[in-house]
Amino acid sequence: MTARWTPRTAACSVGSVAETHTDARPVTDDSALVTRLLAGDERAFEDVARAFYPRMLAVAQGYTRTRAVADEVVQEAWVGVLRALDRFEGRSSLRSWVLQIAADIARTRAVREARSVPVSAFELDVERPETAVEPERFRGPDDPFPGHWRSYPTDWRRLPEQRLVSTETLELVKRAIDELPESRKIIITLRDVTGCSAAEVCDALGVSPEIQRVLLHRARARVRARLERQFDA
Amino acid sequence: MPEPLGVYEHGYTCREIVDLAAEYVEAALPAHESTLFELHLNFCDGCFRFIDQIRDTAGLAARVGEDELPESLRADLLQAFRDWKRA
Repeated sequence: MTARWTPRTAACSVGSVAETHTDARPVTDDSALVTRLLAGDERAFEDVARAFYPRMLAVAQGYTRTRAVADEVVQEAWVGVLRALDRFEGRSSLRSWVLQIAADIARTRAVREARSVPVSAFELDVERPETAVEPERFRGPDDPFPGHWRSYPTDWRRLPEQRLVSTETLELVKRAIDELPESRKIIITLRDVTGCSAAEVCDALGVSPEIQRVLLHRARARVRARLERQFDA
Repeated sequence: MPEPLGVYEHGYTCREIVDLAAEYVEAALPAHESTLFELHLNFCDGCFRFIDQIRDTAGLAARVGEDELPESLRADLLQAFRDWKRA
C-alpha cells in the first residue's frame, strides 16, 4: 500500500469556492471608495450597492420573513451606512462594516416585530445534537471495525461532469439551501453562495468562529445528503 | 462491504473523521490532529470521498447564482444617496 502513501489532497472537482469567488477577500481600496462616496459619486455608489446586495440580502433574510421586508432592511442599512460613513475608520473592510449594520438593523426590526429573539438562534441550533451522516452508516460496537463505514459514499468524481454540475443539480442545491433552518441558511449563503470569509460572517452575525464553523458544516452536510440521494438514485 | 485496512486503527475511526470534518475543512484542526486526519484519508476511500463531497457541495453552492439588485430598489437607493448628498 506504499503507493497510496503520497498525501491525497481532496481537490474539489467542481471548482473551489475561492476560485469561483475571486473577491472572497476584498481587494478594493476601501479608503479610495469611501472618498468617492463622500464626494457624492453616484456611479461608485451604484457599483457598491450592486456588489454588496447579495450579502446584505442574505443577512437580512436571516432575520426577516419576506423578501420585501429584507429589501427594506437593505435600504435602511444603506441610509445608516451613509449617515455614519464619515466616521468609517477602516478597522474592518467596508463590506464587513456594511454587513454588520445590515445585521443590526435586521435584528432590531425582528425584535420590534416581536419575532423570536434571533441572537440566540445560532447557539440554539448548535446545541441541537446532529451528526453530518446518519449513525446507521457506520458499523456498530460489536463489529471488528466499529465506527467504520458500512458502505462507502459513492465517488462523485466518476460522475460525468455534465451530471455533477447540471442545471438540475444546481436547482437541487438551491432548493436544499432554501429548506435549511434560517441560522444555517444564512451562513451557507454568505460563505458559499456569496463567498464571504469566515471572519466577515462572524463579525456580521456576532457569532463565534466555532458556531460559524459547525453551522456551515451542518448546512453543507445536509445539502450533501440531498445530492447523495440524487446521485445514488 | 468494504474491508477496512486496519492500518489506521491507532488513528481516527471513520465516524470520528466525519465528526471532525467541520474543523478539518475549515483548517481549524491543530497540526497534530490534522496529520492524523490526513493519514486516515490516505487509507480510507470512504472518508476521502466524504470530504471530497463536502467540498464539492460548497463548490456547487458557489455556482447557484446570487440575487441581483432589483431595479426598484436600485432606484430607491440612488434616491436615498441623492437625499443624503443634499443633506
